[in-house]
Amino acid sequence: MKLQAEHVFQVSRDVLWQVLHDQTRMADWIPGCDKLEEIGPDRFAATMKIGVGAIKGTYKGTVQVTEKQEPSQYTLAVEGNAAPGFVRGKALMKLQVEDGNATRLVIDADVQVGGLIASVGQRFVSGIAKQLTRELLANIEQSLKPETTA
Amino acid sequence: MSKKSGEQIPGRTDYKWIGKSIPRHEDARLLTGRGTFVDDLNIPNVHHAAILRSPHAHARISKIDLSRALNLKGVIGSITGADVLERTRPFSVVATSPMQYYCMATDKVRFVGEPVAAIVARDRYLAEDALDLIDVEYETLPAIVDPEKAVESAAPILHEEVPNNIACHRVLSYGDVDAAFDQADFVLRERLVFPRYTSMPLETFAIISSYDHFGGGLTLWSNFMGPFIMHPITARALNIAENKLRFIVPPDIGGSFGIKTSIYPYLTLLGLLSMQVDVPVKWIEDRREHLLASSVQTDRVSYREVAVTKNGMVLGFRTKLYDNVGAYLRTPEPATTFRPIGNVVGPYRVKNLQIDANVVVTNKCPTGPNRAYGCAHLYFEQERLMDKVAEKLKLDPAEVRLRNFIQPDEFPYTTPTGGIYDSGDYPKAFQLALKTFDYEAMRKQQKTARTDGRLFGIGIATGVDPSVSNMGYLTVALDAEVRQHPDYLPKSGAAETATIKIDPLGQVTVGLSSTPQGQGHETIVAQIVAEELELSPDDVTVIDEFDTAKSIWSISSGTYSSRFASVGTSAVANAAKTLRGKIFRIAAHLLKVNVEDVVFEDRRFYGRETPTQSIKLSHVAGTAHWNPNDLPEGMEVGLNVTETFSFPLAHAPDQKDRVNSSNTYGFMADLMAVEIDPDTGKVKILKYASVHDAGTIIHPKILEGQIYGGAMHGIAGALFEQQIYDDEGQCLTATLVDYECPFATEAPKIDIAHIESPSPFTTLGSKGAGESSSETAPACVANAVADALSPLGVNVTELPLTPNRCWELLQSARGQTT
Repeated sequence: MKLQAEHVFQVSRDVLWQVLHDQTRMADWIPGCDKLEEIGPDRFAATMKIGVGAIKGTYKGTVQVTEKQEPSQYTLAVEGNAAPGFVRGKALMKLQVEDGNATRLVIDADVQVGGLIASVGQRFVSGIAKQLTRELLANIEQSLKPETTA
Repeated sequence: MSKKSGEQIPGRTDYKWIGKSIPRHEDARLLTGRGTFVDDLNIPNVHHAAILRSPHAHARISKIDLSRALNLKGVIGSITGADVLERTRPFSVVATSPMQYYCMATDKVRFVGEPVAAIVARDRYLAEDALDLIDVEYETLPAIVDPEKAVESAAPILHEEVPNNIACHRVLSYGDVDAAFDQADFVLRERLVFPRYTSMPLETFAIISSYDHFGGGLTLWSNFMGPFIMHPITARALNIAENKLRFIVPPDIGGSFGIKTSIYPYLTLLGLLSMQVDVPVKWIEDRREHLLASSVQTDRVSYREVAVTKNGMVLGFRTKLYDNVGAYLRTPEPATTFRPIGNVVGPYRVKNLQIDANVVVTNKCPTGPNRAYGCAHLYFEQERLMDKVAEKLKLDPAEVRLRNFIQPDEFPYTTPTGGIYDSGDYPKAFQLALKTFDYEAMRKQQKTARTDGRLFGIGIATGVDPSVSNMGYLTVALDAEVRQHPDYLPKSGAAETATIKIDPLGQVTVGLSSTPQGQGHETIVAQIVAEELELSPDDVTVIDEFDTAKSIWSISSGTYSSRFASVGTSAVANAAKTLRGKIFRIAAHLLKVNVEDVVFEDRRFYGRETPTQSIKLSHVAGTAHWNPNDLPEGMEVGLNVTETFSFPLAHAPDQKDRVNSSNTYGFMADLMAVEIDPDTGKVKILKYASVHDAGTIIHPKILEGQIYGGAMHGIAGALFEQQIYDDEGQCLTATLVDYECPFATEAPKIDIAHIESPSPFTTLGSKGAGESSSETAPACVANAVADALSPLGVNVTELPLTPNRCWELLQSARGQTT
């Protein structure tokens, strides 16, 4: 399944790049991400809680950053397995300079699901994927806000 | 409304019960929810199994860790591929390139839903929960689902021992096909695609397994339907002696339509589980498991070319088939390819043909029998091309068929592939179909509709309906040289056994081992026995429970291949005739008259000349049981008869691959009018007429039910149902939300009529009709839709004709891309 999304952030490209590659904060903006642990250069073990309709699962897998062309683009590969099946996705993340110190993030993703999610939740998958993308963009937006005390 | 016409069996027009729609003996218990199915059986200390299935279409299993699952309280055991590899053998596979097929993945998974591990627990809930705690690591591999792409050299290979993913390849030639094409005035060619659809019984696979570690062996209760050749196959897979493996089938099975033939890998899996955990284990397949991983019909891509004269006579055909049997070639596959071999020319006088059969493995669920097994594919190809001939010659499609039919004076007719058509009158049956459909009037109606701009089409499809498969036909899948090897045991035959007994008070009990799935065997047997013994069907109790340890059975036993109406009824009628002879001889002896002079009336015997001196049936029966001294000299004590009926012409294939693949051959002609909604692409059936020749009709209402069911199964495949995979091999139709079955509201009224051409090879002249229009309805729908779209210049080459597909066809005609 192909998925596309884009959003303009009111920060410079360098700042957005820094935020997206800050290993201590990546878990904050990857939707459902509970834990992120570095296991290699740009490679992380991840635990993600995702629900597709009634099929909820805790996915264990990896997040990997490759093909880095700082500060304009990189590829984010996510792979997770859980009892309801598996999720595999690869996203090309493009950071484009916009007027007025803003940056456009263009996401071009290809997502595959298998197992129970594919056979039972197929008709929910694209809706869920869109929702997760919205969450992702909102989370990044949140991460860009200056640290405030709760 | 059902009409009846045609002739009776010569010399028998005086039937009292045969030919009558008596109330079904099974209905009261079934309609009040009192049937006995596998799930109703209570086995002490039964535990429950759940099966972990692969989420990947193709992957290597690198690690399975069950420790967390086995720690769950209430879980008592498990098996994985390692146990399967250690304790079982691969199933027998009939192919030119056989592969290793086990009841569970042992090294790689090759389709989504393939069993990877199984858990036994106190209850099913726990067993299912435990599956979530099994940790499996997979190394994924590229998957292939398209049978034509699967044979390309770059395609991923499923089995190392199967080069190019072709499990079986045979080129079969009959007659002189090259000469036929040389003589032809023209040649027509099509590429046709026949989809995967399934059987959809209400009751899914159901098994209870119990192992006696003290030498009693393994007992498997299940809704298995035969053929019981799967019993020795399962025994061999489990490494146990055949007489230590007991299959028991309860009286009721909730439908099958072919699919339950393929339950035996799960019988093996459950057998191994109970051997491992030492308690009885039960597994009722859930609907998702059923749709994902039980069995389904083979999908096919075919290239067919026909050689035709300018008069519309078909001289010959060549066909190249790619039959997609999924991840493993599971016996009885590749029967989709070879089961119709004897009737591959259908009702036509075609003498020359060549079949280039490629049986291909891909990362889809393995396939198996589904009502119309192989024949729906065949007649879709044959009948689409007959319409193409009509179109080319600007002839009426009905006329093209009439010109090519085998004629009534040619029976028994031997087909070029070795089929022996027993009886029939195809022109007469077809004319009756045209009349029942009111063909001329419908063509006029179509003309008017077209003038009004409506998409109105008329379809025709005819076919020869094979029943009682010859156990030898499948060996056509092997090269003729293999079959000639001295160590090779030839396979042939088609037999059934019935036991009838009369108890000391004169009541009749019939024992069958036919494993019916709703076909009304108890009723039909009661009718036949009542007819022969001159009793009422209510006097006859029929016990239809199968037990390999107690029943008399053969490897061909079971209810499949529309066999009961031919072979089962013959066994019953012959046994009843023998028993009748015996009681008449006892009566003659007691009455001191000649046996020819004995008359039986109102349960009393008397001599024709001495009607006042009579004795009761109970007296005659009582003599046989209680007073053997008064029996005729040399007669065996008791009134029990067991008789086996075996077809005389079910030979093994000859060196030229000719085989009489079935034993009786009926005929059907379907006509249908449809209209397509130009805005939605939805096909509506306006009129449907169906004429059948199933020989002597025993129970008209049951026959009508079979015809309706068969037709709906075919319509489901033609317009609604399809098992769909994405390119990665994920099954997208594993729920009834996504796999669309028609409802009763989609069922058209069918105008049914019959002719009766009794089979000379069966005792009553009856033939099978359990599959009937499931073979021709898909072709008939395709031809009707093609006819509706023909003014737009659109061709129909693929099923199902869902609103989506029809809409795409309409869009292509409108010159728009979708």
